[in-house]
Amino acid sequence: MNDDTLILYYYNDGLSDSERKTVEAAIHSDPEVAARYDKLCQQLNEFAEVDVAPVPTHTVERWHDTIDRAARQSSVHESRSPQRSFNPFSFAWGAAIAAVLVIGISLSMTQIDPGIEAAAGTSTAFTRGVQVHFRDTYGQLAALPLDSAADRNELVLQIIEQNRLFERVAEQNDSQDLARVLRAFEPILIRLAAEDIEPDDAEALRAKLTFELNVMLTKLSRDTSNETDSANTGIQT
Amino acid sequence: MPTQADFHTAISSRSDRWFAACLKITRNRDMAEDAVQDALLNAWNKRHQFDNSARLDTWIHRIAINAALQLLRKNRPAAFEPLETDIEDEGDTPESLRANQELGKTLSAAMTHLSDFERLCFVLKHLEQWRLKEIAEEVGSDVGAVKQAIFRAVRKLRVRMGALQGELK
Repeated sequence: MNDDTLILYYYNDGLSDSERKTVEAAIHSDPEVAARYDKLCQQLNEFAEVDVAPVPTHTVERWHDTIDRAARQSSVHESRSPQRSFNPFSFAWGAAIAAVLVIGISLSMTQIDPGIEAAAGTSTAFTRGVQVHFRDTYGQLAALPLDSAADRNELVLQIIEQNRLFERVAEQNDSQDLARVLRAFEPILIRLAAEDIEPDDAEALRAKLTFELNVMLTKLSRDTSNETDSANTGIQT
Repeated sequence: MPTQADFHTAISSRSDRWFAACLKITRNRDMAEDAVQDALLNAWNKRHQFDNSARLDTWIHRIAINAALQLLRKNRPAAFEPLETDIEDEGDTPESLRANQELGKTLSAAMTHLSDFERLCFVLKHLEQWRLKEIAEEVGSDVGAVKQAIFRAVRKLRVRMGALQGELK
């Protein structure tokens, strides 16, 4: 009887009833098999140790934020009336604009001809869509009503929803770095949406976000320019 | 149906274990964090499906494992390919070295010497107590290949753990 069979016996999986009975009989009747099985059990039990990797506090906070955000969104969706009148700043309208933008990007990505120019064009179309999103967000943050928690919450939720749409497109486009950047905006936006935040803190968060958006817009402009140059010259930068 | 407070309690008490389990599967800190994040969102969105007789943290744990496998499949599809033959250690990459530092010593250190497929099968069987059939379905392989991967993993771990314990003495 080899150790592989004893391993399956230990796991109580992968052996038929008759095979299990055979192993059981061998363990009871053969001291050598019994000793080997004891040693195996001892080692496998040691493998069950749970060494818990420490998780940074900010990561755990992000997970708590995820639930708070999801709960907030659930309550907003539940309380929102389907007959709500048209409002250019409404959440639904913002999401619709973002959806149209995302669909537009997707269509432009599928209609591009194959080849080097297509490769550059695909990523450029996507990148430009993200640039539009960042610019819109920048504008929305500039107009953010810091003195009205409810209005601020409404607008920031709209931004979060748009951000998530682009995050999903970034993932579908294999732009993991960009998806991660978009994801990183979320915890800051969630804090900004909190109704009990002090105006000074809200202003600080807004300043942080607008700074980060500027950085990303600069980076994306540079990348788009480089890709266009590469496509035109055939030289990778 | 679990409440927002129930989720916060579960995160405070068990998220380190979800993260550790995901880290064992992905060996990548970012992917493990994302897996837990995705799992929490999924669990929240499906909270009405939660069986109140079960434990919330166990339910989220299982969702987190699935999320980690999903992320791994997306980012490193080769991890799900069983090897034709046993392999020798390929040496530590910077990523595995970093993961090793994160994971600590002994079992986790020994596990860095397993192939991705062996590690996945072993973690799901030994640490997560999945059935062989479930593992085979998850990794898109057959039960025989999963068994062989577990046998190889246990053989390697017995040798490695013995060596590590010898070093610690």
